[in-house]
Amino acid sequence: MSTPGGTPTRSPVATLARVTLRRLVRGRGLWVGALIALTPVLYGYVRRMSAGASEPRDLMLSTTPLLVLIPALFVASSIGEELESKTSTYLWSRPIERWQILAGKLCALVPLVIGLVVAGWLVGNLVGAGAAPSAISCVALAAGCVVIALIAAGIALLAPRQGMALTISYLLVDTFIGAWPFSLAELSVTHQVRVLAGLTDDPPAIVTPLVGMLIIAAIWGAVGFRRISRLEV
Amino acid sequence: MTGDAGAVVVAERCSKWYGHVLGVSDVTWSLAGGIVGLLGPNGAGKSTLIKMMGGLLRPSRGALTVFGGDPFSDAGVRRRIGYAPEHEATWDELTALELVTAMAQLSGLAPAQAGRAAQAAIDQVGMTGAMHRRVRGFSKGMRQRTKLATAIVHDPDFLLLDEPLTGVDPAARADIIERIKQLGAAGKTIVVSSHVLYEIEALTQDILVIYRGQVLAEGNVFEIRRLIDRHPHRIRVECDRPHAIAQVLAAEAHVARLSFERGGVVIETRDPDRCYDQVAAAALVHDVTISALSSPDNNLGAVFEYLTGDGARR
Repeated sequence: MSTPGGTPTRSPVATLARVTLRRLVRGRGLWVGALIALTPVLYGYVRRMSAGASEPRDLMLSTTPLLVLIPALFVASSIGEELESKTSTYLWSRPIERWQILAGKLCALVPLVIGLVVAGWLVGNLVGAGAAPSAISCVALAAGCVVIALIAAGIALLAPRQGMALTISYLLVDTFIGAWPFSLAELSVTHQVRVLAGLTDDPPAIVTPLVGMLIIAAIWGAVGFRRISRLEV
Repeated sequence: MTGDAGAVVVAERCSKWYGHVLGVSDVTWSLAGGIVGLLGPNGAGKSTLIKMMGGLLRPSRGALTVFGGDPFSDAGVRRRIGYAPEHEATWDELTALELVTAMAQLSGLAPAQAGRAAQAAIDQVGMTGAMHRRVRGFSKGMRQRTKLATAIVHDPDFLLLDEPLTGVDPAARADIIERIKQLGAAGKTIVVSSHVLYEIEALTQDILVIYRGQVLAEGNVFEIRRLIDRHPHRIRVECDRPHAIAQVLAAEAHVARLSFERGGVVIETRDPDRCYDQVAAAALVHDVTISALSSPDNNLGAVFEYLTGDGARR
């Protein structure tokens, strides 16, 4: 981007991403998230001490809560707090497109969420199973993080005050539905993550769970971006 | 506050509801330039009107344009607007310089240019000494100055300052008033809201009085002052011999009512300036020691009720 005079400007998305990260690093949220990300590591360690090496499928049980909590903690609370505390007025009054506000937040937070969840999974496997997890399981978790971040953003924009609680509730229901042995499980992001990672009884698949996640991401992404373009603060 | 041709703001039958709650109702108004004071008690609709001008809210009915465009949907219009919100909340984790620089970048300035503009804006509001401190630790006055810096950093043509003097000490208030006047003198169009008349009087002569979402009066502050002065004005005189003061003033035509309170007398007058003079003269003649003089009407609430007729109905 550049000004009319030709001076290169920083994209509003990049500026917002930088500010979001800076605020996060200087607050408590990042450290709380890092502690939550230790859950699979602790689980793997305890299992290994008590019952020997764990199976990746067992370790995935302790990683699923990360998929629920970390996006809710970072994405839903970041957006919800911005709207609730009215600091959003600073953004809404600037000459930027409203979608760029959401894009800036997601650009900062999604990589962080992926990093924490995948790191927790990776170290949890090294500690609990004594071996690195498969690459596809890491990809599955990363894809799951993207989808759940979009869900969290959509919910937080619809209900800022209850955004984090509603995101956690939604994902608990998602986890519950994902455990059903019916086709309804296809609606569950956490189920699709496990299928893509090859950690269910179903035959391994790549296209079907990816398409499923893509549809869910598209729906919640549309909800979020449409909502922010109409939101008044 | 003239005709619409070339006006900065044009509002035509503009209304805003929050569900069933009325924000502003049927406001028709245009603003050509200069500094305009938006005066009204808390909850009158001042912030709603300012937010609509700033592109944060859309009118529920009617139309509002700024520089001929819709500030809600047109980023190009918002580029020419600087907005300082009423609330204190900001990105407290950042330093003042980081916050103002981020706002400059979000307003389209290149990074190097944004840094320089932020330093200049911070300097302009007298915050240079604290620019590397995090906003979290700022006093209310420092926050008001920082908000002003975020509003002016991209050199907008039109400034919207929502209660910029609330909560600041008298010295800071005088300083902020002076800085706003300088911005006005530099050719900016400025709308400043307040619920305190003397704050607005110190800034401008052009005011818009808003009450319960409606424009109650518009024009020169002296006209409004005349309306206010017609309304019986209460003056509380705390002194050692209130009856001596009351005896002198009882025969005066401008005095509507006298009542005694513990340690003082309350005078209701239609001519406050004359009344203050006579109280001072009576104190001198009768050797009365006055410990305090105050006006319970300074918050304007009674005056707004008087202007709308609410006071008369009670």
